[in-house]
Amino acid sequence: MSDTLRLVIAIGVILFLLATFIVTFILYKRTPAPKGCENMGPNKERCKNCEMSCHLNIYADRKENE
Amino acid sequence: MNTTPYIYTFLLAIISSCLIDNVVLSRFYGICPFIGVSKKVKSAFSMGVAVTFVIILAALICWPLYHFVLLPLQIPFMDILTYILVIASLVQIVGLFIKKFSAPLYQSFGIYLPLITTNCAVLGVVQTNTDTALSFGLSMANAIGTSLGFLLVIVLFSTMRERIEEYNGNKAFKGVPIALISAAILAMAFMGLMGIGAK
Repeated sequence: MSDTLRLVIAIGVILFLLATFIVTFILYKRTPAPKGCENMGPNKERCKNCEMSCHLNIYADRKENE
Repeated sequence: MNTTPYIYTFLLAIISSCLIDNVVLSRFYGICPFIGVSKKVKSAFSMGVAVTFVIILAALICWPLYHFVLLPLQIPFMDILTYILVIASLVQIVGLFIKKFSAPLYQSFGIYLPLITTNCAVLGVVQTNTDTALSFGLSMANAIGTSLGFLLVIVLFSTMRERIEEYNGNKAFKGVPIALISAAILAMAFMGLMGIGAK
């Protein structure tokens, strides 16, 4: 098998996997959250799981500074 | 056909990757959730179960993908990129099913599930399985043992941290410093298991 063909196949595999990821991501986003779980983003009152700053718990640093 | 040696090897591989060659304490994979999500036992257990689930599924999918797609197509150099995309898609699919069919599970896993995509323990297990040319059975044993090891260690560590929180000693040690020292002691305790089976 030539190098060019291998490269084309490699790009094809990556594109296929990327397409799979994009489709699953869109399906995940479109699936409605169960009742009571609609707002599971950062929440100062509820998000006390790890008390470290992350995109889910942006209040950790503020808490320390207060 | 006598299957006893196979079962024995399978169980030995699980115990070995769970206790002796622990993914967190001897290979230092998955340190981020180990430190970040181990402050409370409940959240540590949720994270551990979610990681267990994803590691086993990822090993189940990636082994055939490597041996029946990447190797025959002569593109084994694409392994890491492929695994990353497979794991990311897998996490989305698992999340989707949980979101759709199990509200209680979504409530407990919900915020931890997307974080697993960035857990290098998952990628590490899959990569080890193909790098060391393990058979499918042993790959699954490695995946099961590694994930159980992760679950065990994160829950053990969270129970330690819950008690350490009550410590009122030197301020310099409070928080992360004492957590890291505890992790080191835990790692040393696990190192004691390395002699098991040695003749």
